[in-house]
Amino acid sequence: MAVRLAELTAADFIRRRRRLPASLIVGGTIVAALIVTAALAQWIAPYPYDQMHVRDRFQPPNLHYLAGTDEYGRDVFSRLLIGSQLSLVLGATATLISMAVGVPLGLIAGYRRGVTDEAIMRVLDVMLAFPPIMLVLLILAVTPPSLLKTAIAIGVLAVAPIARVTRSVTLDLMSGEFIEAARARGEHLHYMLLRELLPNVWPVLMVEASLRVVFAVLLGAVLSFLGFGVQPPAADWGLMISNGRAFVDTAPWISLAPGIAMSITVIAISLVGDGLREVLDPKVGGR
Amino acid sequence: MSALASPSAEPLLEIRNLTIRYRENDRQVTAARDISFALRRGGSLAIVGESGSGKSSVAGAILDFLGPTAEVTGSMLFEGQDIAGLAPAQRRQMLGRRIGAVFQDPFTSLNPALRVGRQIAEPMVQHLGLPLAEALSRAEAALQEMGIDRAAEVARAFPHQLSGGMKQRALIAAALACEPPLLILDEPTTALDVTVEAQILRLLSRLRRDKGITLLFISHNLGVVRRLCDDVAVMYASQLVELGDVHRVLELPAHPYSKGLLASRPPLAAASRNNRLAAIDGQMPTTAEPDAGCVFAPRCPFHEPRCSAGPQPLTIAPDGHQVRCWKADELGPWPRQQVAAAVQPAFRRGDALVNATQLSKTFGTRGGLTSWRLSVAGGRPQLHRPPKRAPAVNDVSFSISPGEVLGLVGESGCGKSTLGRLLLQLLRQSGGSVEFDGADLARLPAQALSPFRKQAQIVFQNVGSSLNPRLSVGEALERPLALFGLTKPRDRTQRVAALLDMVRLPVAYRARYPHQLSGGERQRVAIARALATEPRFIVCDEPVSALDVSVQATIVNLLADLRDAFGLSYLFISHDLAVVAQLSDRIAVMYRGRICEIGTAADVLAPPHHPYTEILLASAAEDEPAAESAVGIAGAAHGGCVFATRCPHKLGKICDTTPPPLRTLTTSHTIACHLDVLPHDVGAPPIPVRPDPLRAAI
Repeated sequence: MAVRLAELTAADFIRRRRRLPASLIVGGTIVAALIVTAALAQWIAPYPYDQMHVRDRFQPPNLHYLAGTDEYGRDVFSRLLIGSQLSLVLGATATLISMAVGVPLGLIAGYRRGVTDEAIMRVLDVMLAFPPIMLVLLILAVTPPSLLKTAIAIGVLAVAPIARVTRSVTLDLMSGEFIEAARARGEHLHYMLLRELLPNVWPVLMVEASLRVVFAVLLGAVLSFLGFGVQPPAADWGLMISNGRAFVDTAPWISLAPGIAMSITVIAISLVGDGLREVLDPKVGGR
Repeated sequence: MSALASPSAEPLLEIRNLTIRYRENDRQVTAARDISFALRRGGSLAIVGESGSGKSSVAGAILDFLGPTAEVTGSMLFEGQDIAGLAPAQRRQMLGRRIGAVFQDPFTSLNPALRVGRQIAEPMVQHLGLPLAEALSRAEAALQEMGIDRAAEVARAFPHQLSGGMKQRALIAAALACEPPLLILDEPTTALDVTVEAQILRLLSRLRRDKGITLLFISHNLGVVRRLCDDVAVMYASQLVELGDVHRVLELPAHPYSKGLLASRPPLAAASRNNRLAAIDGQMPTTAEPDAGCVFAPRCPFHEPRCSAGPQPLTIAPDGHQVRCWKADELGPWPRQQVAAAVQPAFRRGDALVNATQLSKTFGTRGGLTSWRLSVAGGRPQLHRPPKRAPAVNDVSFSISPGEVLGLVGESGCGKSTLGRLLLQLLRQSGGSVEFDGADLARLPAQALSPFRKQAQIVFQNVGSSLNPRLSVGEALERPLALFGLTKPRDRTQRVAALLDMVRLPVAYRARYPHQLSGGERQRVAIARALATEPRFIVCDEPVSALDVSVQATIVNLLADLRDAFGLSYLFISHDLAVVAQLSDRIAVMYRGRICEIGTAADVLAPPHHPYTEILLASAAEDEPAAESAVGIAGAAHGGCVFATRCPHKLGKICDTTPPPLRTLTTSHTIACHLDVLPHDVGAPPIPVRPDPLRAAI
C-alpha cells in the first residue's frame, strides 16, 4: 500500500487540483486565514491586548468590543488575535520538534531493524507508557515556564507516535525492490534514508503532522488552563478560558470566545489532515 | 466438437453485445466492447488475453463483481434468463447456487480465521439450507473428491496450514459445493507452480468429464487453455479478435495477434546464442477507439493502410470460426527475428567469474525478543531460543565463467532468490563462500566491497517496486554514475541517453516517473540501471515473470542482445524452464535449497534426468506429468534426499535417510540421486519431451 501511495508525485497533485476534496479546501482556507491574521495580529487588533479599560469591564460583545471585554476591561477580540499567535506557534514548533527527532529515529529503526530497531522502539515504548500530562507537568513544574519549554515538552511527547508511523511506513517500503537495488549499489546510509526512503514516507508524515498540530494546540491550552503554560498577562486561549471560568454565569463570552476560536482552529487543521489523507491515499481517494 | 455452433441445444450461457465501461474520475474507459459468445451445456470456453485486455471484466460482469463505477450493457442469458436484469438479491442467490467461481489467488481467497471445511460447507448452508453438521460432512467428501488425502484432517485445518495447490483445491470444492452447472475460473493456476498447476488442470478436466460441469476459463496462458477447453476466445484491447475451436485457434491462428501471442512463447528447448524469440512490438492501447481502425494495427507486421480505414468487423466462417481481420485468409506466419550468428564462446572451468562453494543460508526467526519463549518446567523458568528454520540454501556449489549464463530453475520457495542474493552479498551466507573474480567476498573489508558492487548488479521480478516512485528515470540512471564516479557530471546526460538507447527506450523517457511507464518499460529502466555501472555479472531474479507473454519475449531478447554485446554473465533465475532454456548456457535445477541437477542446457533438457527435472519438464511440456504421491499436509524435514517425498522413482528407505550421491554423467552434467539407472536411461516408463506441437504448426 505504501508504495502505491508513494507513487503519487507533484504532477499528480497538480493534475488532481480540480478535484480536491472539500475538506481540504475548507480546512485549508480557514488555516490560511488563521495564519494571516495571527501574523498581522498586532496591526489588526483594535486595542493592545493588555490595555485595561477600567470603565468597560464585563462588556458583552458590541461594536466597540467585538467579543466583549473581560474582568479587567481588556478587549477579548484583541486578546484572541494575539493569542492565536501563541497557539499556532506552539502547535507548529512542538510538531517540528517531534518530527525532527521522531522521523530520523523511525527511519533508522525501520531501515536497520534488528537490535537497533529493538533498542529505539523499546525506549519509545517507555515514553509512551507515561501519562502525557504527567510527563509534560514533570518537565514544566520543576523549572520556570516558558513558551519554548512548553513546545519542547509537548514535542517530546509526540516523538514516539511520529517515530512509530515513520517506522511502519519504512518497513513497508523496505520490501520494495528499489531498496535492494540501492543496496546492490552499496549506497550509504544517508542516501538510503534521505533519497530512497524519506520522499516516500513524506505523504504519510504530512497527514500525521497535521494531527500532531491539533494535539499540540489542545495540549498547550490545557497546560495554560492548569497554569503551567504561558503566564498572565499573556493572551493565551487556554489561559483566557481558565480566567473566564469564574464569570461563566455573568460574562460567558470571556471563556466562550477563546473556546470557539480553539474549536475552529482544531477543526480546520483536522479537516486539512483528512483532506490530505484523501488526496494522498489511493484507497480512499480513488485513482 | 465445438460449443459455439450448436443450434440443437439451448446454450447454458449466452453473452450478447456485452459492453463494459468504467467511469474513472472524468474519463471513461471501455473494458469490453460488444462481446458475444455462447457456451453450451457441458462445454468449456477459454477467454485468453494479456493483462488489460478486458477478459476478467467479462467474468466480473457475469458474476456482478464490477462495482458501481462499471456500466454494463448488453444481455447475459444464463439458462435462458437474462441475469443482467435480475434484482441484486436474486442475483446473489444465483451466484454460488447456479454459478460457481474460483479466482487467481488461493492465498487470499480463503478466510484465515475459519476452518477450511466450514468455508466449503458455508454455501451449502446458505443456498441449500442444509444443517451445518451435514454440510460439514459433505464438505469432507468434497475435499476427498478433489484428490486430497486425509480429507477429514484437512477440513479441520486452517488455511495457513495448507499449500497453495491444496487451497485452490479447497476453493474449487467450495465453488462446486452446490453443484452449479457453470464454473467460472479466473486465472486459477497463475499463482501456482507448474507441477501444481498440472495437478489442478488434471483435476478440472476430470470434474468436467465426471460431472458434466460447464467451464468458463479466463487465462493469459495459451498452453493451459489447450489442456482444458474446447473453444477459445482471444481478446485484445477490449475486443474479441478471434473465437473458435481450441485446436484450430492454437494450431492455425487466423488473427495476427493470436499468431504473435503463440509465436512469442519460448520453446522448451536449448537455444543457440543467435536465437531470438518472435515478439510483438509496442504495447496494447489502453483507450482504443474502434473508429480509428483495427485496434491491433499499430503493432501488426501485416499492417497496411486499409487496416486503419475503419473498425474491423468480426467475420464468421461457416464452421463458426470468428476473426476480426479482413485479410486473415492471406496472412503468412508471424515473422521471426534474426540476429547475426554470434560465436558460441567456449567456457573453461578454471577461470570462473563467480564461484560458490558449499554455500548455505539459514534464516533466523525474526522479531528479536518476541520470538524467545519462556516455559516453566519443573518449577524452574527457562528461556528458549527461537527454533532454527530449515536452510533456504543448503550446501550449494557451482561456478559461472565470464560471459556465461547460468539458468536457475525451481518452484517458489526453493531458495533460488536467496541464492541470487547470496552471490551479491545482499545476504550473508551461514556457511561456505562466494568468490568473485578470485576474491573471497566474505573476507573483503566493507570498503573493498564497492568495486565488487560496481561489477555485480541485479534485475528484479517485481516491476511495480523495482524503481523508486519518487525518482525520475533520469535521476535513477544518473545515481549509479555519480556514486561510482563513472562519468563526469557534464557527460551524464549523454550517458543516460546512451543507456536508454541500449534498452531501446526513447531519450524523452528520462523525465518520466515510474508510474507513467508500463511494466515492460519499467523493466527496461531497471535493466538500464543495472547496466549503468558497467557490470560484468548480473543476477536476473525472475525478470520476466510478472510480464505478459509478448512483453516477456522482448525482454528476453533484450537480455540476450546485451549478453552478446557486452559479454555479460547472468545468473538467470526463473520458475519457467522454457524461458531459462532460451537464454542459458547451463541450467541448474533447485529443489528445497539444494541443486539436484546441473549441466549444459542441452544436457538438462535431454534424458537422463533427475526425477524432479523429469516432472518439471513434463509439466512444462504440457504432457501428463509422472504420477506423484498423493497430496497431503507437507511432512517434516528429514535427513535424506529432499525430493524423496514427491519422487515417483523412490527406491526405498535409503532415499529418506541418506543424502543422495552426486553422479557425474559427463564432465558438465551432474545429478544428485540414488538411482543407478536414471529415468530414461533404461527401463522406467519414458515420458517423452516432445517438441511443442503448437510451435511446429505456426
